[in-house]
Amino acid sequence: MPAVKGEGMRGLAVFISDIRNCKSKESEVKRINKELANIRSKFKGDKTLDGYQKKKYVCKLLFIFLLGHDIDFGHMEAVNLLSSNKYTEKQIGYLFISVLVNETSELIQLVTENLKNDLGSRNPININLALHCIANIGSKAMAEALGSEVPKLLVSSDTIDQVKQSSSLCLLRLYRTQPEAIPKGEWQNRVIHLLNDQHMGVVTAASSLIHDLALTATDDYKGAVSLAVSRLSRIVTSSYTDLQDYTYYFVPAPWLAVKLLRLLQLFPPPDDPAVRGRLNECLETILNKAQEPPKSKKVQHSNSKNAVLFEAINLIIHHDSEPNLLVRACNQLGQFLQHRETNLRYLALESMCHLASSEFSREAVKKHLETVVNALKTERDVSVRQRAVDLLYAMCDKSNADEIVGEMLDYLESADYSIREEMVLKVAILSEKFAVDYTWYVDTILNLIRIAGDYVSEEVWYRVIQIVINREDVQGYAAKTVFEALQAPACHENMVKVGGYILGEFGNLIAGDPRSNPLVQFNLLHSKFHLCSPGTRGLLLSTYIKFINLFPEIKPTIQEVLKNDNQLRNADAELQQRAVEYLKLSVISSADILATVLEEMPPFPERESSLLAKLKKKTGEAGGTIDEKEPGKEKKEKKPQQLPTSIEINNVGESSTDEMAAAPPTLSMDLLGLDNTPASQPSVMSLFDTTAAPAAAPMNNTAAAPTNGAIFDVFDPTPAPGDVTSLTPGAEESFKKFICKNNGVLFESELLQIGVKSEFRANLGRLGLFYGNKTSYQFANFSAVVSTPETLQTALKVTTDQVGTVIEAGAQVQQMITIECLREFEETPILHVQFSASAAPEEIESVGSGVRQFINVKVPVMISHFFSGVAMTSDDFFNRWKQLSLPQQEAQKIFQATTSMDTEIDKGKLIGFGLTLLTDVDPNPDNFVGAGIIHTQESQIGCLLRLEPSKNAKMYRLTLRTSKQLVSQRLLELLLTQF
Amino acid sequence: MIKAILIFNNHGKPRLAKFFTHYNEDDQQQIVRETFHLVSKRDDNVCNFLEGGTLIGGADYRLVYRHYATLYFVFCVDSSESELGILDLIQVFVETLDKCFENVCELDLIFHIDKVHHILAELVMGGMVLETNMTEILTRIEEQSKIEKQEAGLSAAPARAAAAVKNINLPNISTSNIHLPNLPSFK
Repeated sequence: MPAVKGEGMRGLAVFISDIRNCKSKESEVKRINKELANIRSKFKGDKTLDGYQKKKYVCKLLFIFLLGHDIDFGHMEAVNLLSSNKYTEKQIGYLFISVLVNETSELIQLVTENLKNDLGSRNPININLALHCIANIGSKAMAEALGSEVPKLLVSSDTIDQVKQSSSLCLLRLYRTQPEAIPKGEWQNRVIHLLNDQHMGVVTAASSLIHDLALTATDDYKGAVSLAVSRLSRIVTSSYTDLQDYTYYFVPAPWLAVKLLRLLQLFPPPDDPAVRGRLNECLETILNKAQEPPKSKKVQHSNSKNAVLFEAINLIIHHDSEPNLLVRACNQLGQFLQHRETNLRYLALESMCHLASSEFSREAVKKHLETVVNALKTERDVSVRQRAVDLLYAMCDKSNADEIVGEMLDYLESADYSIREEMVLKVAILSEKFAVDYTWYVDTILNLIRIAGDYVSEEVWYRVIQIVINREDVQGYAAKTVFEALQAPACHENMVKVGGYILGEFGNLIAGDPRSNPLVQFNLLHSKFHLCSPGTRGLLLSTYIKFINLFPEIKPTIQEVLKNDNQLRNADAELQQRAVEYLKLSVISSADILATVLEEMPPFPERESSLLAKLKKKTGEAGGTIDEKEPGKEKKEKKPQQLPTSIEINNVGESSTDEMAAAPPTLSMDLLGLDNTPASQPSVMSLFDTTAAPAAAPMNNTAAAPTNGAIFDVFDPTPAPGDVTSLTPGAEESFKKFICKNNGVLFESELLQIGVKSEFRANLGRLGLFYGNKTSYQFANFSAVVSTPETLQTALKVTTDQVGTVIEAGAQVQQMITIECLREFEETPILHVQFSASAAPEEIESVGSGVRQFINVKVPVMISHFFSGVAMTSDDFFNRWKQLSLPQQEAQKIFQATTSMDTEIDKGKLIGFGLTLLTDVDPNPDNFVGAGIIHTQESQIGCLLRLEPSKNAKMYRLTLRTSKQLVSQRLLELLLTQF
Repeated sequence: MIKAILIFNNHGKPRLAKFFTHYNEDDQQQIVRETFHLVSKRDDNVCNFLEGGTLIGGADYRLVYRHYATLYFVFCVDSSESELGILDLIQVFVETLDKCFENVCELDLIFHIDKVHHILAELVMGGMVLETNMTEILTRIEEQSKIEKQEAGLSAAPARAAAAVKNINLPNISTSNIHLPNLPSFK
């Protein structure tokens, strides 16, 4: 049945053959330009073109476009074709539009008009053309203009199957583009009944639609579960002759079965025992069928059968509740691991990764260790090897860590470049996580650097140093091992870094052995010095100064080195500075001072390994974005590295202000945790302020005042009344900074800085306000009072300490506020600060002091501060979520992201907000799910949160459910400002 | 969801590029090139899935492809699709093309790009599987052809005459067909 052949177009054929005969790119371009000119003139010409001609020219344009040439005309002609009453012309018009017109085009308006007409047409063929076009372009404008039409078509009883099918998918596309544009209504209840439709094509399309609708509103569509199960059961138990045309190579309706199984993965296991039983029966049948002999030797038969099987296994893993099925699934995957079909091995490795996290099947997965290791070594396809690495990582625990890490290290030597870095990270994480004996860990990491030094990122070697410093029991061993490793004639620079750092700290532990006496250690390190990059050299210089402290006997030797012109006059400012400073330090300091300054590093605070964050980032995002740290950041985290102790002298001022002002909640950045210290030491901060302010103050003449939000016009002797009580500009913004954290700068002007430290326990909170006088003169008549709006007085009990009326130049004064939360609240108390900046007489003129300053800011206290996080299981979460299903208990908003949508940052914010993030609850790993309890004196309010980022659309959907409408709303408002 | 459907030949010349999310012209070409680069260096009997290139969305997307004689058929899909299901969908697509063009070959795709688009539209719509039943698809294509013939009427005579053009001697074109039976059989 040659359905389409025979209607060739001669002009088109000739043109195409011309192009194909072109010997060079130039001649091709020439020929194309000629043709474009020809078509343009035809379109512009007076003679009206008939349908055949129009079609021909459009085909030519499509061909030219496919070759990669821009088409900048013909759009209007295509739009005109849309209103033709001939099907073929309309069809080609729509084709052109779908391929060449994008959602930003100004023609969309016209196209949309035509679409509207065709949707309203009586002819199903026209309706279908329009639906296709909408689904292919799917712009927001279309969603808004047509979003209400499509659902009508879908559920109308007059609609023929084919249109039902297309309108399902069309609606799906519009829903994805702009969910708000689709009016809610009766159709939502009826759509799940499409799962019962006679026509299998309709069911397939509808299940795709329901899947996406239910993705965000599982509860509204839970009726789909039993329908899907019964449909699935009918398919699975049918013989391949029952479904006739929907049987594909002896497998009944494989695509529909896959869709239904995917749909069911959105829901928890069915509550109704009958439904649940039926579903389990289906799953068992599918597993049984896998063991039957194939009905055909064709690859298509096994493909479609296994497509269903894999989806069934995914559902079993998702439910994670039937040990029997889980073990069967695992065995089935085990068979596939050794299958001759590469595709199946690939998928089996992937599915087993999920299975490895289930407690029921974990042991069963571990049995396949040998096969997986074998796959890593023998698979010809790197994408399969990659899956094997993933699985080894997933199945690793204390019992097999030794073997898995060993195998991975082994393999690393010959591994593909594309997966090396990830493997290095994984080995580093596993060896740390499952280390029983830390000497093994040290050995592993050093091996890692030896084998794949280039792929060892900073995080990896930072981490090994953190661990060695924090664990006294391995320090001696580490020193000895790095010393040995450094003996190798060619060792990787990363090894020199680790070696330098560790010997600088713990070289004394091995100095007793004459083979590694101080001089030998120093000479060994220094022999590498010239081969290293400036960064490493800087680190080595720090090691040298530490050596001077550890081993006074080699001080002269080291001083010689520091004195060398290579150091003292190095073109690199950082190296030069270090050399000069260290040399001076070694000359003028007494042994005591040296010992204090160069004391051994204190243990690092325990924190989540930054490696994990890095790995998530690496696997979670598109490749190539691994090193996206801004340079400034990088420097900041290097410095503490390389100047282990002097950091506190050099860096504190810089980082404290940064920290207080910006403090991005990134866990991964501040690897060594030094950034944290300044924040908890407000006294250091004010010390810094006093030194910086005098330099700035004299220059701040009156001209600077208007730019400064806090000071109103100094030429106006009586401040505008609004300024006395209304919020100071910027107050709203700084308030927002406290939504996800407790400490920071609440207000800052040239005169005054207000810092906040707060802590909350249950329904009680304590805020410390730190008023820092940044000027070189006294603040007089200082007062700071907190006022609570009337409506708030029943909800919050605020007690404020008195502060002295004078703040001396450069001084800092502390004020404590205690807060008791009686019931939920929305508003915030206001802090009113006023003072006169009474400068010394000669400065009065220039600074406009003497004028009373008024500052009104919001006290950073909000309902979310009374959160405590709650951990719960997936089941608990869903139960509670369901219990809070009244419309007024939920607050939801879909909004455009204003941030970079970095997973780690988002996570940090939510944790800062006070919730406990729950993993393995949401089927989509990108989504965040959290739970917490708000404590008030009156009651405790449970709160559940779900945040769904869509990186493609740069949108978030935030849903909050609590038992109180006001709380849901307020939490939503607060969080909205953070993403 | 299917993000893109690409057909190109062994030299990377695009024969069909259908995107279900918007990319501008340059990006479309880049994606075809990148995908060709990723797919063409792979042996014929390795697995049919791989992670997407950076332009198409990286590791979150997967390329599911099949290589027939001179052509690669590549579907770029997100994690909500079953890889094996998509692999079979490619097969349905090719079998449909084969039925419509009688032993479909690369040339058919070149000279009837509009038809190929129309056939694809019956299978996939807005990035989702629309219909998988080949009989049903063929019926719909048949209906379209019927209307076309009616509308063309007499004026189509020259067009039909031109159909012979495919038989004229066109050098430099490989005419070998896509070879459906060329699939590795499953023993």
